[in-house]
Amino acid sequence: MRRPVPSSRLRPGASRGAPLLRLRVGFVLIAMVLSFFGARLVQLQGVDPRSYAAMAAAEGAVKIPLLAERGDILDRNGVPLADSIQGKMVIADPSLTAAQAPAIARLLSDALSIDYFKALTALKGRKEGSRFEYIARRVPSTLASDTLKAIDAAGYDGVSLQDDPIRDYPAGDVAANLLGYMGTDEPLGGFERTFDKQLAGVDGQATWQSNSRKGVRIPLRDSTIKAAQDGKPLTLTIDRDLQWFVQKVLAQSVDQYRAESGAAAVLDTRTGEVLALADYPTFDANRPSEAKKDDLGSRAMNDAYEPGSVEKVLTASSLIDAGKAFPRQRFKVPPNLARQDRVIGDWFDHGDIRLTLAGIIAKSSNIGTVLAADAFTPPELVDYLKRFGLGQRTDIGVRGESSGLLTTGDAMTSQTKDRVAFGQSLSVNVMQMAAAVNTVANGGIRVSPSIIAGSAVTDDGVTVGTDTATRTRVVSKKAARGTAKMMEKVVDPEDGVAPGAQVPGYLVAGKTGTAQRVVDGVYDGSTSVSFGGFAPADDPRFTVYVVIHRPMVDGGGGSITGPVFSRIMGYVLGRYGVEPTNGKPSRLPVEW
Amino acid sequence: MSSPALQTRTRVTRIAQEAVDKARLTVVPRVRTRAPRVPFVTLVSAVLVAGIVGLLLFNTSMQQASFSASSLEKEADTLAARQQTLRMELDELRDPQRLAQQAQQMGMVIPPAPVFLDLETGKTIGVRTPATPENAIRLDPPPPPKPKILQPDPTVVQVPATASTASTKTTGQQGNQQGKKNRDR
Repeated sequence: MRRPVPSSRLRPGASRGAPLLRLRVGFVLIAMVLSFFGARLVQLQGVDPRSYAAMAAAEGAVKIPLLAERGDILDRNGVPLADSIQGKMVIADPSLTAAQAPAIARLLSDALSIDYFKALTALKGRKEGSRFEYIARRVPSTLASDTLKAIDAAGYDGVSLQDDPIRDYPAGDVAANLLGYMGTDEPLGGFERTFDKQLAGVDGQATWQSNSRKGVRIPLRDSTIKAAQDGKPLTLTIDRDLQWFVQKVLAQSVDQYRAESGAAAVLDTRTGEVLALADYPTFDANRPSEAKKDDLGSRAMNDAYEPGSVEKVLTASSLIDAGKAFPRQRFKVPPNLARQDRVIGDWFDHGDIRLTLAGIIAKSSNIGTVLAADAFTPPELVDYLKRFGLGQRTDIGVRGESSGLLTTGDAMTSQTKDRVAFGQSLSVNVMQMAAAVNTVANGGIRVSPSIIAGSAVTDDGVTVGTDTATRTRVVSKKAARGTAKMMEKVVDPEDGVAPGAQVPGYLVAGKTGTAQRVVDGVYDGSTSVSFGGFAPADDPRFTVYVVIHRPMVDGGGGSITGPVFSRIMGYVLGRYGVEPTNGKPSRLPVEW
Repeated sequence: MSSPALQTRTRVTRIAQEAVDKARLTVVPRVRTRAPRVPFVTLVSAVLVAGIVGLLLFNTSMQQASFSASSLEKEADTLAARQQTLRMELDELRDPQRLAQQAQQMGMVIPPAPVFLDLETGKTIGVRTPATPENAIRLDPPPPPKPKILQPDPTVVQVPATASTASTKTTGQQGNQQGKKNRDR
């Protein structure tokens, strides 16, 4: 044993000789430390164990949203009118990019064709201390990753990509008014919005643990994948190429006659399927922000207008069906007709002329129609028109459809009835009128029109589509055939007013219309010119209806819309391989 | 050791030896076979080492697989994106507008009425109407109107009529369209 060092004995208060005290101090210290541990244990396990467990799981967890692919919108042949492709958003972290902002901005603006200065502002950060800025959205995936590679190669940091699907409309403005368009994150119009539930699908998510910045999975650790449910495609009855053609022909005529707008519809007579429904002016669905707001919807469906003389077809076939008139019935038509409150005139000056009912239709005489319709009481006429589908929405699935206006039978005065008989004082939308003319073409049976193939549910919960199409008899087959024979006379070069609507080689039946337009509650002198008809007249396959609003060049339904009708009808007959029927033309007399 | 066994051999001739032997209990010698330790230790160590190395390799290979899965996934994404981009390009090439423009440039027009050719008889069905340049449809929208500054109102200068000069007007270019007579309704 060594002797204790003398110096330690000299130190006062040295506790080396008091083991008990040392032991106690030690115990107290240990007890304090353990009580801290105990308190922490209670805190972790007793107070809020779940949030700590979640925090532990979140440490190193990678969550990747799996974006559902939006369903395509297809035409009747399966050609995409709208499709989704993978895209990326290019984002920047200004804390990393601000220093080299000009150089990165030049690279990005060259590669992505975006504005240099906007890119520069984003890279520098729009706000102080910002860590997230959009540089470009909806960039095609390949272009985006190529650009990112170039940026990495140049040695810049802070630019990254995130998924951002692109909605592409390959044919631009074809059927844009029906399809609608997408906003930044949600659909803003048309079928995109109406059938969003079906198209959108449900996003999924993948979660796994990772310990690297690149997000590589740690094997055997928690990893869950909830797969995305892609949206279902929506198939239309529209024929893309036909729709394109109709839009082009319509646009040409609207511009040629410096008109305000125009619309055209092509229906399959037997099934009521809408093969084309065109509007002009229209817009490019890929660039909706560049179009006027008024052009974004479907005027054909949303705007009601007075149909004018095309409606005489409905009056005449109703009269024949009710047994109150027949095509060869003779009428003496005076130069003008004084009715209770006003004088009714014709568009052409004439003395006392003698026309048959066929002649009244062929020459489009208002006076003659009023005289013929005298056989009807207002409720009788309104009842027929309702069955033709006027005054109620067609509900084909287009948003904001106008129901048009049709005064109820008991509220209708005889003056109003006179005007309704030749197509004024009531209003319709394009689809209503096309379906009504189609009823005559289809032998008196009205097929409810449809634009969705199969069936689909709108955001209002209405099921629409060809599966729900209904067929109702409106007039007898005989009445419909008789009316068709009279309508053939309209395009007769001798007797009719619209020889321009003929399709060489085919029997065509049609009717012109030139209606006064109501603007802000008054007739302002402008007109809506229209033409509705079908071919081949003796075995109708297609119904075409064209209307042009407010042409600035003098003309009527025959001269302005007749040639448009002829062009569209000629194309659709050829496209669907409908051969001429070689039927005998109508030999109804127009005069007596 | 083997000494008890030797003792029993020497007393073989005793009478009632069997009974005596039965009555007497002897200590069974502890048989100790000393197995060589080295192979066992080596084996255990080898198993241990193999296990650890195997686990390590297995882990490494799983990690490796995870890396390659990641990179393959990335590649699949890239290829899918490429495929979609190509599909989009294809759709754009199929755009009726583009086809019509090319066809019209080649001098083709859409005829006003169809004519059918019966291949068996060689006869045509329908009225043969010539397709002329007038049948061409306008494919591109009209150019947007020029701003006012590029298309000023025509300047009209009224020159007082004198005996020698008739009044002259300078007018800018104006497209005029012939209005058709309103002959039908």
